[in-house]
Amino acid sequence: MSISTLKDSDLLSVRDLTIEFGYGDFTVRAVDNVSFDLQRNKTLAIVGESGSGKSISSLAILGLLKHLHGRITKGSMLFDSEVLGRQVDLTQLSERELRRIRGNEIAMIFQEPMTSLNPVFTIGSQMGETLALHQGLSQSAARKKALEFLELVRLPNAKRMLGNYPHQLSGGMRQRVMIAMALCCQPKILIADEPTTALDVTIQAQILHIIRDLQAEMGTSVVFISHDMGVVSEMADDVLVMKASKSVETGTVKQVLGSPTEPYTQALLAAVPRIGSMTGTTAPQLFDIPGQTQSNDTVAATAIDYSKPVLELENLTTRYDVRGGLLNRVTHRVHAAENVSLSIYPGETLALVGESGSGKSTVGKTIQQLVDPVSGAMRYHGKDIFSLPAAERKAFRKQTQYVFQDPYGSMNPRKTVGESLIEPAWVHGLVSTKQEAKDKVADLLVKVGLPAEHANRFPHQFSGGQRQRLCIARALACDPSLIIADEAVSALDVSVQAQVVNLLMKLQADQGLSYLFITHDMAVVERISHRVAVMYLGQIVEIGSRQQIFENPQHPYTKRLLSAVPVLNPGHRPTRPPLEGEIPSAMRAVGNEPNLVDLQRVEEGHFFAAQSAEEHQAVLL
Amino acid sequence: MPVFRFILQRVLQAILVTLAVTLFVSFAIRLTGDPAIMLTADSSNVTEEDLAFIRETLGLNKPFFVQYLDFLKSLLSGDLGESFFRGSVRDLIAIAMPSTLLLAISSLGISILISIPLGIHSALHKGGLSDQVIRVLSLVGLSFPNFWLGIMFVLLLSITFPIFPASGFETWSALILPATTIGIILTATNVRLVRTQMLETLSAQYVMVARAKGLNERSVVYKHALRNAAIAIVTFLGLQFGNLIGGLVVVELVFNWPGMGTLSIEAIAQRDYPLLQATVSILAIMIVGVNLAVDLIYGLIDPRIRVA
Repeated sequence: MSISTLKDSDLLSVRDLTIEFGYGDFTVRAVDNVSFDLQRNKTLAIVGESGSGKSISSLAILGLLKHLHGRITKGSMLFDSEVLGRQVDLTQLSERELRRIRGNEIAMIFQEPMTSLNPVFTIGSQMGETLALHQGLSQSAARKKALEFLELVRLPNAKRMLGNYPHQLSGGMRQRVMIAMALCCQPKILIADEPTTALDVTIQAQILHIIRDLQAEMGTSVVFISHDMGVVSEMADDVLVMKASKSVETGTVKQVLGSPTEPYTQALLAAVPRIGSMTGTTAPQLFDIPGQTQSNDTVAATAIDYSKPVLELENLTTRYDVRGGLLNRVTHRVHAAENVSLSIYPGETLALVGESGSGKSTVGKTIQQLVDPVSGAMRYHGKDIFSLPAAERKAFRKQTQYVFQDPYGSMNPRKTVGESLIEPAWVHGLVSTKQEAKDKVADLLVKVGLPAEHANRFPHQFSGGQRQRLCIARALACDPSLIIADEAVSALDVSVQAQVVNLLMKLQADQGLSYLFITHDMAVVERISHRVAVMYLGQIVEIGSRQQIFENPQHPYTKRLLSAVPVLNPGHRPTRPPLEGEIPSAMRAVGNEPNLVDLQRVEEGHFFAAQSAEEHQAVLL
Repeated sequence: MPVFRFILQRVLQAILVTLAVTLFVSFAIRLTGDPAIMLTADSSNVTEEDLAFIRETLGLNKPFFVQYLDFLKSLLSGDLGESFFRGSVRDLIAIAMPSTLLLAISSLGISILISIPLGIHSALHKGGLSDQVIRVLSLVGLSFPNFWLGIMFVLLLSITFPIFPASGFETWSALILPATTIGIILTATNVRLVRTQMLETLSAQYVMVARAKGLNERSVVYKHALRNAAIAIVTFLGLQFGNLIGGLVVVELVFNWPGMGTLSIEAIAQRDYPLLQATVSILAIMIVGVNLAVDLIYGLIDPRIRVA
């Protein structure tokens, strides 16, 4: 059937793969003449931004394209199959033959651990299904094997987990279950499609560690799909860079990441925030974007007046009640933010970092008065907000604006961009005539680097990065003094992310804005922030200037966050120990109050929770 | 414990709904006419004394709320009281209820047997010829009024081609036409529901994961996808039960089916307050009961709402 044969060192060889969707005039080529080889016991990373065709290629290997109504129009995929006992071209196999390979010789982990497991079946039955199918195991034998693999991915209480349903597990646990499920038939190829993108950075480090370990142990070849250059640098032996459905550059990880020859790869690499790249500096710094010359002077030169804060939080505590029992009483409370004190100064960016569940978004929501705190004070230019009459509280709300994570969900799809942008200004009575509104919209669009004519367009006509610019423009509409950016750049591709972060920094320098930058991404934090507060289980465990936190971190959680960030250093494998155990939950029974941390001074402006550091040392390091 | 609390809540809800429904029905029917006058409509020389005597015998001279409380008492004690004209209400309902249940279950069964396979087929061949035919047919089915469909069946299959009896319930073959009539109407909506639900679950990530495991399409569709789609389908079937009862009343009338629908229509025509109050209350309790059952089944098929 196949004319050519595989090299001995190769397990999979893809040649001129071309994939199309749609028919006739509406045909879209999602993958265009892409070729790559996957070596035995090696990792090939396919890198590219959203829409580059990297995920489609992986589904093609599994022969699952037809379910997305796509088809392979050209090319071959030679694979050395043991089950079928010969070298086969995956594009030529029958559905029945493909089914024997899928899940057995070639297994896959998907991006979204939250939706990858079927919600109505237990973990044990979902894993057992694969084992029964490919290895003909009996129920009890499958159970035993499933248990073995759950332990291999270091899930605590693996035995109990077999009877659990997916909703009872956290995202990181679910992804580990997915890995266990994918590996339980000992596949020759593991395809991992952005397996850690949706996870926290410490959990990401843990998952990557597990994949690397098991790969070495089982001799699996891995196709690793990612947009994150740091992750690729840690995982890959070979790299294929894709852009707009075409292959751009391919080679070993050292060649491609170390000395890229193509401008696109160079640009992609330049946009990657590298942690530690700003050691020794104090001020924020714009990203270098190839083809754009920009002066960092204004951003760097802005001096911040640390005498009068714009906003002060004092011992702010916000809890969510969890009800249960026969009488629906409050049995548990989520201690989302506990005793949080911080100040934001004019023209300053304070980064609030932490992982999911650390309470960082709750702090943002409390400031915006979307949730009510249990206790504590919030002062805006010295005035206590919570004791103000409603009208003045509304005026304060105008002064603090929010930019959300999801640029797709936060703009009304049925309103033109102009209408959406001007809405807050109308609500707060900042514009009174149509002409004023029109001028204001034009002015806002220009500020965020979009043409003023775009005011009459609808949100769906913009890309993700442009939409996030629009969200920023909307936040600026009320001339706020403080913008709360909640994971505002996390959903964007790196090159777009760099541009949006630069925009935020320039706007700050021009208008003296203050930012509360809520994020889990330490690399971005290093670029944009003046000061950093680290949250863990609802409390601030360390706060200081950016330089103090990055160059002299004290709390083990801060250290963990910093060390978990993948480092772009091709050929170098990280040595950090993986996170053992689970980060505890902030939900506690009523009456079981958490210990309040006591911040101790390290040096001027730098404080950390020494006691909590000792307590959590075991879990975190 | 949460399940217990849940049932308790629902039983309380059922009692409230029944109270509200019976109160409204009792009140409304008294606005439509005086049974004493109805009774004597055919006689010529009726005196005021005669009418007063009838009212007193039937208990109609008592204040409304006393009458209503009397009814509630009889409902609680389970004897359901006496009809104005036809003897024990309980006996009447004991005869009508089984045939109504039989009709309801058969029509629901017909609709499930047709709509689930068709809906799945339609979802799997989205945009194809068979999908379009199914969608058009379901639209046609939706557009038929149920009584018209019933009359057409009678005309065609009882009169032109006398295959099935046109009315009554003397033989089992008499069940076929009324059950098919309601079944078809229900199928029309259910097919669309099954199709949309299946389309949604088939595009879920876990379905792609199931395929990537190497499962065949049959397991992927019937095990992984259908099981999830069933959650919404079951809920909808419960909600639909109310419509089913409504349709039943009309179709029973068309086919002269000796069930609860016919009984309550007769009660309305005769201003038979006790009979009407009893039939309507029992139908209301049934609807609430079925919805409670659906909620419990829902907990069985969806582990996420089983409270740990």
